[in-house]
Amino acid sequence: MNTDEKLELLKSLLLTDEREYAQSISVKISKLEETLRERAKLSEKVSPIIQDELLEFTERIPQELGPIITETLKTQIAESKDQVVEALYPIMGQMIKKYIAQEIKILSERIEQTTQDVFSVQTIKRKIKSMFTGVKEEELIISDLAEAELEQVFIIEKGSGILLGSYQIKATLDEDMISGMLTAIKAFVEDAFKTSTRNLQSIEYDLYEIHLHSFHQYYIASAISGTFTENLQNKLEDHNLKVSQNINKNKLISKREELQQFLIKQYSQFELGN
Amino acid sequence: MVSKKIVIVGSFGVGKTSLIRRFVEDQFSEDYKVTIGVHIMKKQLNLNDNDVNLIIWDTEGTDDIEEVRPAYLLGTHGFIYVADISRPKTFSKVDEHLNFLQNKYQKTPILKVGNKSDLIPKGMMAEKKDEFDFLDILVSAKEGNNVQRMFERITKMMLT
Repeated sequence: MNTDEKLELLKSLLLTDEREYAQSISVKISKLEETLRERAKLSEKVSPIIQDELLEFTERIPQELGPIITETLKTQIAESKDQVVEALYPIMGQMIKKYIAQEIKILSERIEQTTQDVFSVQTIKRKIKSMFTGVKEEELIISDLAEAELEQVFIIEKGSGILLGSYQIKATLDEDMISGMLTAIKAFVEDAFKTSTRNLQSIEYDLYEIHLHSFHQYYIASAISGTFTENLQNKLEDHNLKVSQNINKNKLISKREELQQFLIKQYSQFELGN
Repeated sequence: MVSKKIVIVGSFGVGKTSLIRRFVEDQFSEDYKVTIGVHIMKKQLNLNDNDVNLIIWDTEGTDDIEEVRPAYLLGTHGFIYVADISRPKTFSKVDEHLNFLQNKYQKTPILKVGNKSDLIPKGMMAEKKDEFDFLDILVSAKEGNNVQRMFERITKMMLT
């Protein structure tokens, strides 16, 4: 064995482990390169991690980005009011147009229905009224259609807000809660404006007006739909006054059942619009 | 059926709204929502064969009872004064507050209630007995302990 062969033998004895190790690393690097080169293999490894991250990120969006987005939007809207109006105008315009068209359609259907009942008592009455007053029949029809209607009446104890009696033409939400909340609103307004001698007289809600008429121990809240003119308001107040006089005269406040019957009788026969 | 107005008063966060929710809806939430103005709920209660319609006014919390809008307290048939037994600050002015109510609404019964009894360890209750002696009843809106009894007691007081 010459010197070179001896050296080779010594090398192989000393470096076998390192070589094996280097070889295994080389295999691993090849596998990694292969994974990186081939999309399918890479995707198999990376996708679950990205998916988890994305899921976590999505969950964090409201907390982390919500305030920033809101603030940015607020600033943007404040700085570009004209553009916002321009962007919203067509949408709002369309919505309003659609709503008005729908309402006109309903109104015209009702007018048509009314005019078709040529021989009804109502039509004859209207024709006579038109003849004597000089107001066109069409105008009277429209006026009739927007007629104010007394929907609900509540007799509510002052202060406590406890419902003493009620009359209504259709079922409503809890009457006790309505009475309480009306009293709280009334109390709040009167308190806030420091008007111990003045009373809140009405509350407008969408197409309804709630008229409040105060008496000594209680107040009468009347919910009216339609066009509630000053004349009708006077008419309602006169009627409420009469009702109140009868309640006091017959001491109905402490007689819940009797008061209820009395209210039904008084308000079912009362016609606000005529 | 007779209707009675109950007003619940007390400091911030003592659990007034939670007590009402527990009684009316049998629900409890850990989320604290401040009551603004007044909130009204109702529940019918049958007591000794009498149906009573309870209209419960939940006022916003205040450390000074004189700050409650007087108009909300008018015509009240019964007060429930709520304190949080885990926060002594909420009952530090109890005498002052009760004097105010008693002077202003002389014939109106007042039930003094200590809420959050669930926060006091059971073994400590006997130790704390003297401290809570001024209260009529200890309740827990969270666990529902004594809530029904509390409303029954005030109803009884209002009817007698």
